[in-house]
Amino acid sequence: MPRALKSPTGLIGTVLLLIVFTAALFGPLIAPYDPQLFHVQARLQGPSREFWLGTDQYGRDLLSRLLNGAPATVLFGLGATVLGVGAGSIIGVIAGVAGGRTDSIVMRILDGMLAMPELLFTLLIVSFLGGGTAQAMLAVAVTFTPGMARISRSAVLSVRTREYVLAAQARGESQAWIVGREVLPNAVAPIIVEATIRVSFAIMIGATLGFLGLGAQPPSTEWGLMVAEARQFMFRNPWCVAVPGLAIAITAMGFNLFGDALRDVFDPKRNH
Amino acid sequence: MSLAYLLRRLGAVLIVLCVVSVTVFAITAVLPGNAALMILGENASAENLAAMERQLGLDRPVVVQYFDWISGVVQGDFGTSLRLQLPVSQVVGEAFWNSMSLAVIALVAVTLIAIPMGTFAALKRGSIWDLFIGLFSYVGTALPEFVTATLLLVFFAAPSRQYLPAGGFVAPGEDLSGFFVHAILPATTLGLILMAHISRQVRSELADVLSSDFVRAARLKGIPEGRVIRRHALPNSLTPAIAVISLDIGYLLGGIIVVEEIFAWPGLGRLLIYALQNRDLPVIQAVTLLLAVVYALSNLVADIVIAKLDPRVRYA
Amino acid sequence: MSALIRPVLEIHKYSLSYRTDAGEVMALKDVDLKIQKGETHALVGESGSGKSSLAWAVTRYLAENARDAGGAILLSGEDMIGKSRAELEALRGKRIAMVFQDPASSLNPTMRLGEQLAEVLIRHRGLSKAEAWKEGEAALSRTGIAKPAQMMQRFPHEASGGEKQRVVIAAAYACNPELIIFDEPTTALDILTANQILDLFVKLREETGVAALYISHDLGLVSRIADRVSVIHKGKIVETGPVEEVFHRPQDPYTRRLLAALPRPEDRLAVSAPSTDAAIFRAEGITVEYGKPGFLTRLLDKNAAAHVGARDISLKVRPGELLGIVGESGSGKSTIAKAATGLHPFAGAVEFDGRRFNRREDFDRAYRRDVQIVFQHPDASLNPRETIGGILSRPLKLYNIVPRAEVAKRVAELLEMVLLPREFAQRYPHQLSGGEKQRVAIARAFAAEPKLVICDEITAALDVSVQAAVARLLVDLQERSGAACIFITHDLNLIRQLAHRIVVMQRGELVDTFDVEEAESPERAPYTRALLDALPVPHDVTEVDHQARDFLTEGPTA
Repeated sequence: MPRALKSPTGLIGTVLLLIVFTAALFGPLIAPYDPQLFHVQARLQGPSREFWLGTDQYGRDLLSRLLNGAPATVLFGLGATVLGVGAGSIIGVIAGVAGGRTDSIVMRILDGMLAMPELLFTLLIVSFLGGGTAQAMLAVAVTFTPGMARISRSAVLSVRTREYVLAAQARGESQAWIVGREVLPNAVAPIIVEATIRVSFAIMIGATLGFLGLGAQPPSTEWGLMVAEARQFMFRNPWCVAVPGLAIAITAMGFNLFGDALRDVFDPKRNH
Repeated sequence: MSLAYLLRRLGAVLIVLCVVSVTVFAITAVLPGNAALMILGENASAENLAAMERQLGLDRPVVVQYFDWISGVVQGDFGTSLRLQLPVSQVVGEAFWNSMSLAVIALVAVTLIAIPMGTFAALKRGSIWDLFIGLFSYVGTALPEFVTATLLLVFFAAPSRQYLPAGGFVAPGEDLSGFFVHAILPATTLGLILMAHISRQVRSELADVLSSDFVRAARLKGIPEGRVIRRHALPNSLTPAIAVISLDIGYLLGGIIVVEEIFAWPGLGRLLIYALQNRDLPVIQAVTLLLAVVYALSNLVADIVIAKLDPRVRYA
Repeated sequence: MSALIRPVLEIHKYSLSYRTDAGEVMALKDVDLKIQKGETHALVGESGSGKSSLAWAVTRYLAENARDAGGAILLSGEDMIGKSRAELEALRGKRIAMVFQDPASSLNPTMRLGEQLAEVLIRHRGLSKAEAWKEGEAALSRTGIAKPAQMMQRFPHEASGGEKQRVVIAAAYACNPELIIFDEPTTALDILTANQILDLFVKLREETGVAALYISHDLGLVSRIADRVSVIHKGKIVETGPVEEVFHRPQDPYTRRLLAALPRPEDRLAVSAPSTDAAIFRAEGITVEYGKPGFLTRLLDKNAAAHVGARDISLKVRPGELLGIVGESGSGKSTIAKAATGLHPFAGAVEFDGRRFNRREDFDRAYRRDVQIVFQHPDASLNPRETIGGILSRPLKLYNIVPRAEVAKRVAELLEMVLLPREFAQRYPHQLSGGEKQRVAIARAFAAEPKLVICDEITAALDVSVQAAVARLLVDLQERSGAACIFITHDLNLIRQLAHRIVVMQRGELVDTFDVEEAESPERAPYTRALLDALPVPHDVTEVDHQARDFLTEGPTA
């Protein structure tokens, strides 16, 4: 992956992701305070030497809450994406390989699902599954499925007409060999790129659901929920909404930049 | 543009809407927790539930329920709101126009700002301005609406310095300037992410066109740079830009839900959240279907505009 | 050359370099070139030789990472290198014009052809819009467009490739420039169209006396139209002189190699003709349709119909024979290859080695092993994620050609058979050159020990010198294995070297079949004759350069 580091976007993306993953892996360990501990004397404070990022309405240390929320936020993004990409790619690859009527029926259905704004679709599913982190993750995964199916289908289609695939067909290779050895290894790059960028969307939608009270529930330290809980007090201490909000943005931006850099690596023609 | 092209596109839209209506209905009908349960609550007795299901027609086969619903929808009858005890069409009607006015304001502003911004970045490729716009677009696309909205409120609507209203709505018929003043923050929130995305797409499209063979050919004919950009490059990057905008309308319609909720804008989004919280199924179905119809139709309009602009599509 | 007449273009010891990740790369080194008024100077080189860089340098349209590294470029004595952007804008299109390789991409797709022509006249001759359109019509009719007024109203996608290139040429000549640069103007066109464009070029040159720099990879073509020729190789001009001299007495070894690589029909490469008249492969009334419209499309569009790729084609191949299929793009020649290898459904029947197949589903493993195919694009025909060894071992394992334990040994033999080092087995396709990749593709086909190999334009994407080497390799393998071959190409000169019999296709139909000796017989179909006329046999080189010839067969550069 060193080539991804050469471009400025790739470099910034990698650095941001390193920070985010460090927080996700070690956050709860390095947090200075217990994230649920009330510091009654120090409520709604700005950054100080004692509380680096300030405190919320109960006097809880924002940095500690942020670090404790990192694993959940990142896991949510990765989990939802992996599920959605997995399901979507399977559908897309089947449609692309099967072709003909199967393909056009599957595509019409996917078109219909894509005609619903993503957030709306997620909201519908999650409100019927009932709020909660797992439900929200499932809802985001379902929402991602049609889009990913379409992308993996077009990746498969563009590879399917390459001459080395025709050569394998002419040779009389089995369908399984053609798909497994000739098509998939060459179609996987655009799927990975799209998946990376989608992690940022998943994190943003997850936070939005938390914010609307449909995702993680209090006293969770999920970042969207942190913003929602602190909103009443945002005029007294903007830090308690800004800190989790910006953390979401930095994480999303890291995945975005890294995905773009990956795309350039896989597709050198777009470098110019 | 041939009639066959138009008919084909219309046919595709109809198929999409059929699938949407089935999906919406399936989610509301098949997922756990049906309307009767929602109305009566978890503690309702089995008898009461059964009676309520009969009253709502939920004891009939799902297919029958669907056709019953969809035939009403086609005639403009979305049923009756379970909570408000009003015809859904009446509840939804006003909210629809409120939402559309907000969406249109945001979209027009975005288009007017993002296209010149992307163009400027592409023309000044590698300059500090390009870098700045690029950075803005990355930050913009990484900020969820609720974060943007919250930050905007902190900056512009804090009690100490109330430059703009923190929320609410004034009907344009009553006070047009009041309407716009109230629309500024929600529209800005909605527009920011789209502006970031569209300007980036426009930049990359235009950069591609600027390095194309025909732009090179025009420059080697000695055509002045201004005309090369205006007459050769821009028209060819406009159609992809429109395609991007039309796809982003889907994003806008999703964002509107959150934004209306935060800024107390009485539109479809706010209505949807209310209906979701109160399990008002007919309203949920109607709002979802309406948003999907708006999205599908705006894509259709975009396709027609593209066909008008690009001579290659007309005969496709 | 008289020193009194100032050359239109004078390039003196010009060098150009590009900054890349790998450091400074020299694209042009000490290039000297002079073009007098009325002269056509051809610049010949293979891909990557620097011939296009020179065109960019002359027009001052350089990439951002390009740097002038010394020397001078003079247009009628004026220094081009120091010109400001405004000066260049005023001069381009007026004093230097350019015609590009692909008219499909060099015309703006959203602008009417007339406007693209008229804008030059408005810009440089100060005409009003109405005057410019009128003048444009006149210019178009000079380029042989029958209804110029209508053509002016069309968009590029509504015109054929030849028509578009005529518009580009009309725009280039519109302001009577001193110099026109032609950058492979016929390469993207079909044979017959290309020939008409060449005729047009000759006619306009006589009418206008413009100086022309004609860039090409094709020495044969250049010999027909140029006065002088410069051969460029790795950024250096290795030979310059009048066209006859360079052709008949080439001095530089590279020039000799290029000339030796030109396909000449009289220089037969084929294996000896089969003695039997029995066929190993027979196509009987093969018809292939593409894109059959669905029910809805037919309902909406009464004119929608399937596109017929090939109609009622019957042909046969004898054991050990090489059958050429010749035609322009869209003639259906590749369609036959796809039908015969089961890549596309067909109507009709295929008979192979005494067995009959009525549907592509009937092709079994034995048939697929016996009938192998090699494709056109070396870059696309090898799976980029497999090693060369993996690619070559596949047919060996699939058809159980050798025991598992001997696969690696056999792969090495196959590589040696196509004159590649055995270490290539560990490499990936992107580490090989185009010619090397095509050799691997050929080795993969012959690995199956087939009875028939179908070659679909296998030399079309390669440089001239590599083309000749690949063609020789194929014949050599055919001789060793005794396999029959169907060789699909648009290059009549090449196929006349290789084939025993030739069939000609046009718009999906078979229009002519003949023994190669009969190629110039008067009984040939008119279309065959047109193709032959369009592609003249290159100048005879009085003495075939054996050293260069041997070099090709060894083919270390291929």
